[in-house]
Amino acid sequence: MTNYLDELESDSIFIIREAYAKSKNLGMLWSMGKDSTVLLHLVRKAFLGNYPIVVIHIDTSYKIPEMISWRDDFARRNNLRLIVGVNKRALADGMAPEKGRLQCCGSLKTEALLDIVHEHRIQALLIGIRGDEEGSRGKERIVSPRLHSSTWAYKQQPAELWHYYNLHLPQDVHVRIHPLLRWTELDIWNYIRREKLEVIPLYYAKDGKRYRSLGCYPCTDSIESGARNVDEIIEELKSTKLSERAGRAQDKVDTYAMQKLRKSGYM
Amino acid sequence: MLCKNSANQDICDIPQQEVYDKPAFTVVVVGSVDHGKSTLLGRLLMESGAVEVDRVRRVETICAAKGSNFEPAFLLDALEEEQSQGVSIESTHCQLRYEGQKFQFIDAPGHLEFIKNMTGAASYARIAILVIDAVEGVRSQTIRHLEVLAMLGVTRLLVAVNKVDKINYDSAAYHDICAKTQELLNTLKLDCDHFLPISALNGENLFKASENLPWYSGKTLIQVLSELAPPAARGCNSGYFRMMLQDVYRFGGERFFAGRVVSGSITPGQLILFSPSGKVSIVEAIISYPDEKRELAVAGECVALKLSEQIFVERGEIVSRPDQAPEVLDEFIATIVWLAEEELELGAQYILKIGTAEVGCSVYAFTSNNESVDLLNRGDVRDVIIKPSSPIALDRIEGTSGLNRFVLCTKYDTVAAGSVMEEKRIFRGMPVASPFVQRENGYLERMVIEAAQGHKAAVLWLTGLSGSGKSALAKALEARLFAAGRTVMVLDGDNLRKGLCADLGFSREDRAENIRRIAEVARLLLDAGTLVIVACLSPYAEDRDRARSIIGEDDYLEIFLSCPLEVCQGRDPKGLYKKAASGEITSFSGLDSPYQPPVHPNLLIDSNQMSLDQEVEAVIALLRSKQVIGTAIGRIWPAKRPNTSQSMAREVI
Repeated sequence: MTNYLDELESDSIFIIREAYAKSKNLGMLWSMGKDSTVLLHLVRKAFLGNYPIVVIHIDTSYKIPEMISWRDDFARRNNLRLIVGVNKRALADGMAPEKGRLQCCGSLKTEALLDIVHEHRIQALLIGIRGDEEGSRGKERIVSPRLHSSTWAYKQQPAELWHYYNLHLPQDVHVRIHPLLRWTELDIWNYIRREKLEVIPLYYAKDGKRYRSLGCYPCTDSIESGARNVDEIIEELKSTKLSERAGRAQDKVDTYAMQKLRKSGYM
Repeated sequence: MLCKNSANQDICDIPQQEVYDKPAFTVVVVGSVDHGKSTLLGRLLMESGAVEVDRVRRVETICAAKGSNFEPAFLLDALEEEQSQGVSIESTHCQLRYEGQKFQFIDAPGHLEFIKNMTGAASYARIAILVIDAVEGVRSQTIRHLEVLAMLGVTRLLVAVNKVDKINYDSAAYHDICAKTQELLNTLKLDCDHFLPISALNGENLFKASENLPWYSGKTLIQVLSELAPPAARGCNSGYFRMMLQDVYRFGGERFFAGRVVSGSITPGQLILFSPSGKVSIVEAIISYPDEKRELAVAGECVALKLSEQIFVERGEIVSRPDQAPEVLDEFIATIVWLAEEELELGAQYILKIGTAEVGCSVYAFTSNNESVDLLNRGDVRDVIIKPSSPIALDRIEGTSGLNRFVLCTKYDTVAAGSVMEEKRIFRGMPVASPFVQRENGYLERMVIEAAQGHKAAVLWLTGLSGSGKSALAKALEARLFAAGRTVMVLDGDNLRKGLCADLGFSREDRAENIRRIAEVARLLLDAGTLVIVACLSPYAEDRDRARSIIGEDDYLEIFLSCPLEVCQGRDPKGLYKKAASGEITSFSGLDSPYQPPVHPNLLIDSNQMSLDQEVEAVIALLRSKQVIGTAIGRIWPAKRPNTSQSMAREVI
């Protein structure tokens, strides 16, 4: 193996298989974004063309509409066991970005996720976050145990060495597993190109604009771009001077916004 | 780019391996707290242009709000606690590209409290940068980090003496620190001749030589790093084939043995051995998705094997070629670093993880300069003896497989990391006679012989009074096992006294030595895969226990032939009781010398009540229950026997 994409792929498949071997009830989060779509592909590779785990989407109801139609179409074509999590209580009470972006994320994403975790007795979750996305994700472990309040205890993370992942956990703890943690944004696109993966067309430029990172429409800006296909995106990323999540409003609410959100269980 | 012109096709199709497409060299930055590791990395990122402008702007805003100067470290240390206290809690990974090379840097925290994070970070690295504060010099954490690097085998090292601006770029002070560090490196047997003065905060001697260091004519940090980068990143296909078995999947009614190849390579048709179970099969196909069947799988790859002969094995096994098996040990020496806040508890049970195997173990002795140590604190690096509760497969010799690296865990936490030492001072619980004599390894492994011949080896130790029927049972067993095609050998105590033990009499000491020699011979035969039948009076429990420890608990099967003394005297097949009665011989066990019957033999045979056939059946049943014979092993790899009638007779048992 001399190709670095082979190495990244193989490392991730190893992690996915470890998670499956050691966890009672494994699920994965799929946001329809490029990262979790790559993760989905890696799961399929790990299990020789099968999807033996449930796929969860947390729907805030504020997602860009094309995302939902693409989700349903993709899930049907690929025979995914899809679970959609919605915080109906909060939505009925009128939760919206105007009530405060962090509160909204906490309620419609974190709480909705925790409800699903409890309802389906999920013990372990594969999540497609990457260390180079933003500062607090850079401090993550491949395996991150969450206490029953789902708190991320970043000061007391267990030691993680070589390929040994600590997946033994007490009953009331669920664990987040991050197989893509060491990938970069460019790695993801190079891999999408190599594997000829289908990604949601929102990433490709239309009328001089494209999404570089996908989220809820009130809090996600598109960027100026002429990149209409994967090759052009890769060339664009090689010379960009801005970070991937520059268009994500919740990151900028205050200095440590992401850390605060993620400490209480945000992805 | 579109290439419609066929003349240009070739040029366009040549894969240009840009730096983006190359594997990264992983570099860990270590050293004591506040010596400037995160600052160094932050600065490297900025100067190389690897960090986006909005990230830099964010840090500028944070620093301005704090009323402080720009802190490059904040580019990595993004947590609020890290920024308010100016300390790294967790390690951070970041990438940097320089002149055709890609580096993955890991910033390791320097605090003793976070030694687990530092050890984890360093476990992924191939190169290390040791940062030393020019004002503070070598601190206890500097030493600790170097000890951890030595244990992990990260030996490509660069020493950066940081903050030289704070010592007014003084050459003498710099060289003093270098000399002290060199001494330390020598003690730890770490080879390093790359020392350089830097100022991380000012960016001096990182990418550009510094005007303030006219006396330094060496390379910049990035130049040294480029030279340290090894020629191949990973995935070296050399070395013996090893695959860690992760799982067995059942899809579409078929079983797939999923795992990761960690060294060497494998092709379909290969005969493979699973360790420690000793089971053998043949690779029918190598499967991965979407390219169904593969002709080859190499180190680094995650694949699944389909086997032509179905066997039952589970996660945790190491797959190899039978003639290149890993070692299967129930005791080994290792160097570990203790990571947990709680001290190491002597004799307590921990979980040992090697490869994908997990077994209980106890850490039962410490040696540091051959002195015993009572406890281990967080951050201590020590030599220990580890005793797994059941044999575990590993590669003792540092190679490409990484199967000499392990962790120790409690139920929910990883408490230590270690690497197995090549040295093997202990063997089956016995210290070797002289420290200058070392066991030579690399001979044909017993497991391979066992797999080839289709049964395991064991020692049947028959004990009982003279006349209790040991020799008769030994002969009957030998005939029965030989007829079934088993490799068998009888060691008769009386016969050995005519040769190997001819110098020994019947004193207490001589009897003990007699048993020790028989046990050692039995052990040699055991390693040759033989079913050894020892027929020997062996009257003392202490001597038999010693034999058990020489042979090994699992391989020693004690069979007690129980028979009343009067019955034995009546039988007297060798006329010895008569000679004892007439006073011709003395120290006769059962008469004027004691016979201590075994309390918990593996099998008790009442030779006064049972027929010889019944006795033989009882022993055969014992061998079956211990899975010495009659298991799946070797079913698909029958040994070549000169006489086919023997192979046919195998069906008898």
